[in-house]
Formats: sequence, C-alpha cells, structure tokens
Amino acid sequence: MSETLSASPWLNASEKPYIQIENVTKKFGDFTAIDSLNLDIYKNEFFSLLGPSGCGKTTLLRMLAGFEKITDGRILLDGEDISEIPPHLRPINMMFQSYALFPHMTVEKNIAFGLKQDNLPPNKISQRVEEMLELVELTDFAKRKPNQLSGGQSQRVALARSLAKQPKLLLLDEPLGALDKRLREQTQFELMDIQEKLEVTFVIVTHDQEEAMTVSSRIGVMDSGNLIQVATPTEIYEAPVNKDVADFIGDVNLLRGIYKGQNEVGTQLHSDDANSIVFATQEVGASTGDEMWFAIRPEKLEISKKKPTNQHNILKGRIEDIAYGGSFSTYHVRLDNGRILKAIRANRVRTEEHHLTWEDEVYLHWEPHSVVVLLS
Amino acid sequence: MKKFGSFNIAALVIGFSFLYIPIILLILFSFNESRLVTVWGGFSTKWYGELMQNQGIKDAAWVTIKVAFISSTVATILGTIAGLVMTRFGSFRGRTLFSGMIYAPMVMPEVIIGLSTLLMFVALAVDRGVFTVTLAHITFSMCYVAVVIQSRMSSYDDSITEAALDLGCTPFRTFMLITLPIILPAVIAGWLLSFTLSLDDLVIASFTSGPGSTTLPMKIYSMVRLGVTPEINAVSTILVGLVTLGVITASIIGRKQKQQTI
Repeated sequence: MSETLSASPWLNASEKPYIQIENVTKKFGDFTAIDSLNLDIYKNEFFSLLGPSGCGKTTLLRMLAGFEKITDGRILLDGEDISEIPPHLRPINMMFQSYALFPHMTVEKNIAFGLKQDNLPPNKISQRVEEMLELVELTDFAKRKPNQLSGGQSQRVALARSLAKQPKLLLLDEPLGALDKRLREQTQFELMDIQEKLEVTFVIVTHDQEEAMTVSSRIGVMDSGNLIQVATPTEIYEAPVNKDVADFIGDVNLLRGIYKGQNEVGTQLHSDDANSIVFATQEVGASTGDEMWFAIRPEKLEISKKKPTNQHNILKGRIEDIAYGGSFSTYHVRLDNGRILKAIRANRVRTEEHHLTWEDEVYLHWEPHSVVVLLS
Repeated sequence: MKKFGSFNIAALVIGFSFLYIPIILLILFSFNESRLVTVWGGFSTKWYGELMQNQGIKDAAWVTIKVAFISSTVATILGTIAGLVMTRFGSFRGRTLFSGMIYAPMVMPEVIIGLSTLLMFVALAVDRGVFTVTLAHITFSMCYVAVVIQSRMSSYDDSITEAALDLGCTPFRTFMLITLPIILPAVIAGWLLSFTLSLDDLVIASFTSGPGSTTLPMKIYSMVRLGVTPEINAVSTILVGLVTLGVITASIIGRKQKQQTI
C-alpha cells in the first residue's frame, strides 16, 4: 500500500500534516490520561494507536471525535482548530467498539441516519445508502434490524454508517475486537481496500499488535498517556526505541548487558543473562560500564545441533519446550545459566532428520546486525 | 410436574389463597343478587346497573381518572428526566444523597407525605381541590418512574447516543430520535405504574383533597362507613380490574423491551 501514499509524507518536511495534536493534555480529576502529547497525522494515512489497556489511546480517539474535552492544548484538522467544536459539528466520524447501531432502525435507516441530518434530498440519500450497502456487501440485508445480524454483519453496517457522510477523518475504536480470528484477518484486508478506495484518513485504536502491523501506514505506540514511538510497522518491529516497545510488539528475547566498547565487529556488550560477550553492529553513544539491553527477535536466532563456524554470538543450551505452529516451530532453549531464549525456525523440511526434539543440545547463533541495543 | 413436590404445591396454594381470596370474594359478591353482602342470593349484574345511576360515584370516578391521568403524565416527564440525569451524570459530589432523596417517597409512610403536603398547602394558602391532589400524586409517583427509567438506562449503551451525535445529530434531536424511542417502553411502563398508583391512593388524597374533589377510593371508604353494600363491591371490582390491566400491560411492555435489547 506504500505506493498509494505519497511516499511517506512524514519524512517530507514540506508536507503539511492533516491532523495536528499539539501539547494535548487530558485529566480526569487528579488522573492524567494524556500527558502533553504531540502527534501529526497526514492525509490518507492509516494510523494506528497501539498500547495496553488504560494507556490513553481511546481517550485520545474520543478527543478527536469531540466526546472528551481537552484539558490543555489543541487539535487542528486541516489547519483549523477543532478543539472547541462539539462532536455533531465535526467533519469526523467514528466507528464504535460496540458498533452502537440504532436497535430500533433497519440497516438501511442506520446508514441513512447521518445523511438525513444534513437535510439531503431523499433520492440522494437512498443512492448513497445503496452505494454503501454495496461497498460492504450487505444489499440483501437492508431491511433487517440490528438484532437479526451476525457480529461480522453488524461490524460492516457500523463501518458503512460511519463512511456514509464521506468524513474527512474516520476514527475506529477497536473495530475488529468482537470478531473471531478468521473473520478478523479477512476484515483487516477489507478495511485496507476500503481505505485506499475512498481515500479517507483512518485513525484506529487497537491493542492487537498484529492487527496494527497489518493495516497501518504508521503506528503510534502509547503507554501511560505518552507516545513512546511513532514509526512504520517495520521500524517499530526492527528498531524499537526502548525495551517496552520491543516487548510489546511481537515476541522478543530481551537481555541485560554492560557496555564494553567498540571494536571492528561493532559494539561489545558483556551479558550475565547470556553468559558471554555479545556483538552488535549498531553503534551506541555510551561509556564503558553503562547498563543497557539488547533485543533479539526469535526468528533471527538460528538454532542448530551442529556448532556454527562463526566466531561470535554463539550460545549453547538445551531444548526445554517446543511449540509446533505448523509453518514454524518455537523452541524454548535453556542456557547453562538458566535463562530461556526463544528461537523460531520455519518448518521447511518435512522429514524427521532435521527434527529437533526435547532435551536436544543445541547452539543458538545470530548475526551482529540482528541485535537491537536499547539504552532504556 | 416432577419439579413441584407436594410441599411446594401446598405452599403455593396457601400463599396465593392468602393473597387473593379476599379479592375473589369481593368480586364474587359484586355479582350477588341479594342486598345482604354476605348471603349469596344468585347471580346478577344489577349492582353494576345501579352504579350507573349513582351520581356521587360517577363524579368521584371522573375526578379520580382526571387526577390519575394528569398526575401520571407529569410524573412520567419529571421522573424520566430524573432517571436520565441519575444515569447520565455518572458520579458527582452528592450523587448518593440526591438519588436517595429521589427514592425516599417510596419508603416514606403515606400518612407523612399526606400530612406534609397538607401542611405546605395550608401554609401557602392554596385552596384544596383537584389541583392539590394532582400535585401530591405527582410528587410520590415521580420516584417510581425514576426507578423504572434508571433501571432501563443501566443497560443502555451510551455509545448509541454518541454515535448519533457523531453523525451530525444535535443533542436534542438525538434524544427525540434515538434515546426516547429506545427507552419508550420503560416510559410507558412508568406511566402505567403511576396511573395505577394514583388510582389506588386513599391516604394522600384524603389529606390533600377539598370539597368537590372526592376521589373514588375516598368515596368507597366513606360509603363503607355507612355499611358495605353490593354496590361498593361492584365499584371496587371495576377498580381492581383497571389496576390489574395497568400492571399487566406494564409488565408485558417491560418484558418486550428486555427482549429487544438482547
């Protein structure tokens, strides 16, 4: 989807952000839900707010919609300050986590509701409703009431209703949370298609990191009212800024180390956790003795029974647990010092010869460039 | 029938007899031919016919219906607002006190409510009549409506209201187009409940009514003091029928609404 986005607008300094969240703070009594947060979102982005529950992501979304008053700071939409505009006057629509369909209205009337508020002529309304029903493939269900729909159908009605008014910005609050895994994956692609087709800016709130990775142009990782990192899914996964992000997004082996200095291979760390010296390509500005962490994703650990020929970054251990996942297996390897590292290997060979089994003595090896060194 | 043991059946029969035998007797004797209330003289509807000739009872019935209709309508409006406010505003300082004060009339002895409203009307020099009875009925039936609405709102998804606002609907139109239609069954149930409460009331009405505003329960009560006649049985039967109808309708509406929300 990167080609439809005008080549990463966030990297282009002359590009004007579509939504500017400036020093926004939200307090509920003494509790600070959002702590002077700054964020720019660009036109046609599919932006995800990701974080554990209670991190403030839903509050931020509700402030964009206008349901929560901003304590301090301001929000600009297309250059216009919308902080004081009530929700019913904002050109923003929201898709609710509970879908919030009107139970006393048919699917058709639900979708038409927003259009009727604009006093559009009836033929325009029915035409638009028709279009939306086609978009979400629910034409046959137009006369049904919400309680006669399945979860997936309700979700699509909610989407159609929120898109009917052609909002400048669509907010989605955990839109797929109530769907089962299979339907969720399918719907993710549908959402992406619709977003590209209609060229609407999407801001989605989710706690499901896989979902965020799949659909987003960029992800904002939040924790306790702050944005910790805003970057593309690849950057977030491959270059997290700290160990919280590394831990929250995907699976990771997180080990503590002490900075030893640079040499021709790269950064040298001594790690009690790994019981050896670890080399990383990444350069860090630190002085000897500084505490830091290094993160290695399980799929970047090579696991083998034969000792690798490389000189660095080799650890020996014993397989303690195997999680067979069909296309890949996850091995839990216990090192001599008791630490457990996770390694993932694709199951490319069907025969048993390459088979690793419980209690096997194995070597773990990784390239220096696979390691992310984290200072906090 | 395995579910019911003999003990359960016995308990059921005794319990219901205890509750309903007096009322059943009253209904039966209203169809009594004989003028003597406790002696069965054969089936007849003549007392209902005689009732139609009794101007005093007809006047009282008209007053009662007028009072019940106006007081339940006003109480429904006020009670609905109170119920909505109690749920909408979440927790604010003094919320418990406020909600307690709404419910207080439900547990307050009727004599006290009657006496205190009487005192107020006297102090304000308001002439007692249909107006004062209506006012008193509004105050005590309002809290019942508030309770019904509040219990309905506890299962109401606030994001439905937010969704309507989000789609460009003004707050007032949102209430009229979304919230009110969804909670309408509860509003109707609340109205029926306060209607029957007003129909029933004797104590508060006797404190707050004046000349020319005798309600039916008051009329019955004063007639009984001169001796129970089959005519009284007949008018009471009609009253029982009306109240039963109201309560059954209210509960059917309540059940329908529950099904709709699930």
